[in-house]
Amino acid sequence: MSCSVRLDGVTLDYFIYSVKAQSLRNAVFNLAVGGNLYKSQGDVTVVRALENINIDLEEGDRLALVGHNGSGKTSLLKVIAGIYEPQKGRVEVKGKLTSMIAHGAGLDLDLSGLQNIRKMGAMRLLPKKVVESRIDSIVEFSELGDFVRLPVKTYSSGMMARLMFACATEFDADILVLDEWLGAGDAAFFQKASTRMQGFVDKAQIVVLGTHNFHLVQVACNKVIELAAGRAVFAGTTADWAAWRNQ
Amino acid sequence: MEAIQAAFRDLIDGVRLAPLWLTLGWDQTASRFRRTVLGPFWLTANLLAMAFALSFIFGGLLGNGNWRSTFSLMISGILCWSITGGYLGDASNTFISAGDLMNTMRLPLTFHVLLMMYKNVINFLAQLIALWIVLFLLKLGAVPDISLLLGLPIVLINGIFLSLIIAMPATRFRDINQTIVVSVQILFFLTPVFWPPAQMQGKRSLILTLNPFAHLLELIRQPVLGHTPSLIHWEWGIGLMFVLGATAVTMLTFYRKRIVFWL
Repeated sequence: MSCSVRLDGVTLDYFIYSVKAQSLRNAVFNLAVGGNLYKSQGDVTVVRALENINIDLEEGDRLALVGHNGSGKTSLLKVIAGIYEPQKGRVEVKGKLTSMIAHGAGLDLDLSGLQNIRKMGAMRLLPKKVVESRIDSIVEFSELGDFVRLPVKTYSSGMMARLMFACATEFDADILVLDEWLGAGDAAFFQKASTRMQGFVDKAQIVVLGTHNFHLVQVACNKVIELAAGRAVFAGTTADWAAWRNQ
Repeated sequence: MEAIQAAFRDLIDGVRLAPLWLTLGWDQTASRFRRTVLGPFWLTANLLAMAFALSFIFGGLLGNGNWRSTFSLMISGILCWSITGGYLGDASNTFISAGDLMNTMRLPLTFHVLLMMYKNVINFLAQLIALWIVLFLLKLGAVPDISLLLGLPIVLINGIFLSLIIAMPATRFRDINQTIVVSVQILFFLTPVFWPPAQMQGKRSLILTLNPFAHLLELIRQPVLGHTPSLIHWEWGIGLMFVLGATAVTMLTFYRKRIVFWL
């Protein structure tokens, strides 16, 4: 099956509501003086999170999003995952998408590792049989051993990252959207994770990865977008990016 | 135009995700009663306690002194209210409590409403079976009317549209949730949940004829007790479905994209 990710001039604004702006009383007063219930009332701050972002990914592309904290990496990942719909621009995603953006997102802390694997499988609408058949390889890849029988709340953040990554990559998705939580794993896991991501080229899958780890970018990704204040200051191949950074 | 299509697509996609909300709703109901002794029977216990207390008081107030005469009306009223008006508190918090999930994966807004409604339906059906058993044991039972199979879907579709209409602004303005809690309490008294409609006389009977919740309530309570609802209740139920449906689609058209930023 063919898959692709295409973003065309995407611009995303956040509307930040203060406590005052969340009150209906103030909205009604604003209405009385000619304001609009949903627009332009006091204490709404507009933050431009992304401006004119263009992405074009084909099968086998592994894109790294890099940039300082608050540069728009997670916002862009959320736009690709369809969680946010941009005010301007077009988003075209073809293929089955799995997103694991926040650390521990989708995990139920009271359930055991095994139950969480089943839950995440169910959330992706996979048949029970398929999920059961993947459990062994997920447990093996995550190296959790007997910990899979314990509630996830007893896990370290590195262990959660292993479990999430194993699930995300074992359940057949065409497009994977992952954020920085991957960095919670140790060096050995990192090695495994980057090897596995390189394997996506053969399976013609797309990976979009938000990260601060330059090593990971260089070993696992073939394209890079560097963001600064919501704008793409660099977009191109990993080799070009390394050269661009060294200037 | 694109926005209207997206609104309809949201509704359709929500319904299509039935396998997911059916599984999740069941799991969440089960986990709600984890580590309790009575489990889901807590709901039944709550219903019975409420019905006996109200029958005891109002059986006396209504003058015939016999709690049995009002018991079936009250217990069925309280139960049916949970699905005609009682869920509105849950409804206003739909998106706020689904916030984590909404920030994790892409799901239509309708999905979250259907999940919330389905959990209420599970509770309702579990208690309905308990209700029929209790009425049977008390020798007050009657064979349920077949029109329940039509009345219940009408009530539920109205509930889904109404939940969408309430949940959207309630996410933006947190005063609305509090207003709903108060309103549901008042509506509980204004709707013939625990008083016999026939006893309401004079101008005040307008709260029966003009209260949509009264009509929706009768659409399920009558069949539960073995009667067929009268035509006026069907007219209101079906009419409301179109009014609320149109309102819900309009609101989805304008505000669908923004909800996630309001969380």
